[in-house]
Amino acid sequence: MNRHPLALFLLALCLAGTVARPAAAQDYVLSLKDNKFQPAEIEIPADRKVALTVKNLDPTVAEFESTDLNREKVVTAGGQITIYVGPLQAGRYEFFNDFHPEARGHIVVK
Amino acid sequence: MRGIDRIIVAAALGCVASAGLGRAARADFEMRYPIIDYRELEFEHNGSTSFDNRGGRNNNQSYTYELGYGLFPWWEPEIELPYNAAPGQNSQFSGATFENTFQLAEQGKYWLDPGFFAQYSHAASRAGADQLSFGPTLQKEVNGVLGIDTLHTLNLFVSKQIGRNRNDATPVALAWQSRLRLNPLFEPGLEYYGNFNNIADRLAVTGPTHRAGPVIVGAFNLYGYGKIKYEAGYLFGLNNATERGTARWRLEYEKSF
Repeated sequence: MNRHPLALFLLALCLAGTVARPAAAQDYVLSLKDNKFQPAEIEIPADRKVALTVKNLDPTVAEFESTDLNREKVVTAGGQITIYVGPLQAGRYEFFNDFHPEARGHIVVK
Repeated sequence: MRGIDRIIVAAALGCVASAGLGRAARADFEMRYPIIDYRELEFEHNGSTSFDNRGGRNNNQSYTYELGYGLFPWWEPEIELPYNAAPGQNSQFSGATFENTFQLAEQGKYWLDPGFFAQYSHAASRAGADQLSFGPTLQKEVNGVLGIDTLHTLNLFVSKQIGRNRNDATPVALAWQSRLRLNPLFEPGLEYYGNFNNIADRLAVTGPTHRAGPVIVGAFNLYGYGKIKYEAGYLFGLNNATERGTARWRLEYEKSF
């Protein structure tokens, strides 16, 4: 009986770790410089998973956020992050810097 | 860090964190999500109250106050202070809980977003027992279902009492939520909470409880001033061991630093 907690702990970890399967993703790059996204619009294919690398070239921390895409992630000054999105339906999906929301852009899915 | 490395680190940290603090809390109707808001400070309130005209089941209340911080992109520790009031009794502090949420992979990288949750609860009463709870938190986005994006979350936690006053039961808590991402301010959905007293009895012991009902979830972005999130739901009791109705709510303020 005393072995139950350890066994259950390991079982739970295995469940959390093994149900995830890698999915192929195509890479796109987005930069934040002078509090502007470059490019401000990225076109990606519909029904495909995409890896979006966001590089923060500014000296201040930023937060990539998109309520349309359900994504939110801090990017340190000079750092970069990877955001995985999709598969998405055709349409325009807005993203912005949550710390300076005047910096905005769109992912256009076609 | 590779996925397997994160799992190992999460396991080690979960053990260390759980061994370091301790004791008994309740978060009976609280969905745990595997995605961590890195560098965000969160203050959260959860509450629930029951409705049942059968004796001794009405107005069973539970409240928690939580403070957490996304210390790393893959780990968020949290302190929870729970208060409970049994029917006809005053609210009592029931102990402090140290919670740990681990994000095991980048959101959206895999078919499923995997996470792990571990908490150690320290009973406030000398008659109570400390408790360890842990298990996976899994989330899946399914976009474009009849033109609507959807989000599905599953929690599966086992618990074990430890130390003085412990018993040998191994209760299991199952929680599931599916919601429609119609608008950030208003995401309606359905959820289920099941509690099984002891898995050693093959889930067939007396008194498992099953509750299910509608929920709405939303977030209001204050941009540079943080974000306010809410959840509100009503759970219908699905068997005789369960109160006929339970209202639950969650209110959270978070801000990045």
